[in-house]
Amino acid sequence: MSQSTSSYISGPRPGETTWIWLIKIVTGPLLILVLMLHLIVNHYIGSTPTGLMTYTDIVRYYQNPIIPAIEILFLITVVTHSLIGLRGIILDMNPSRQVLSVVTWLFSLLGVFSVVYGIWLALTIASKGG
Amino acid sequence: MDQTRNQPSAGKFWSWFIPVGRQVGGWAFALNRVTAIGLTFYLFLHLAVLSLLAKGPDGYNGFLALTENPIIKFGEWAVVAAVFLHGLNGIRIILTSFGVGVTRQKQLFYGFTVVAVLIILIFTIRMY
Repeated sequence: MSQSTSSYISGPRPGETTWIWLIKIVTGPLLILVLMLHLIVNHYIGSTPTGLMTYTDIVRYYQNPIIPAIEILFLITVVTHSLIGLRGIILDMNPSRQVLSVVTWLFSLLGVFSVVYGIWLALTIASKGG
Repeated sequence: MDQTRNQPSAGKFWSWFIPVGRQVGGWAFALNRVTAIGLTFYLFLHLAVLSLLAKGPDGYNGFLALTENPIIKFGEWAVVAAVFLHGLNGIRIILTSFGVGVTRQKQLFYGFTVVAVLIILIFTIRMY
């Protein structure tokens, strides 16, 4: 095999800083843990026959302050990981500098909007129990 | 060494969807990218659907009834499958990025894929 071992190792792409790459790498395992919790909660503890949570279940679940905090942390992590990852996929298509700049701005705006919306939604759900 | 092998290009993006002549590493790469795109699409769809929670019980519980639709249920299963395939393949990438198991990438890929399939089976039994 003529390919050197180092060429099989994942790392920052051209157009991706080491910090951005590292954030994607660090948020990955964190997501697996929180996502497992998220899936188990949504598929096992709900009161519907299939285990899904109803509106009342979700509002009750959100009355513990740690839950909205975990869900918001989860949201920030998953949005960051997915948008950095999607930007990386676009980098695989060798975009021009201008296109990449537009993509970076759009993804940044989408990320900020999603997190702000998610925080508002989590706090709204939590407030329904009062 | 072929200097152009790792050069990015738009053509390489479409080649992920062509299975002909692909080796294990290529399958792992394609699986990671395709699941990433699917999960990102689902993430934003999921966030949009959850806005129903702000409208009260009628809106959200009405949506819950839809989850019994076989197509929606299959979509939900596909998301769970993509999560574990992407997540466990991602662990392999992290390990090798930091120099762990670089010469055993195939074995790591097979091992993590088997674990992912077992977890998917558990969720399948639970969901159906």
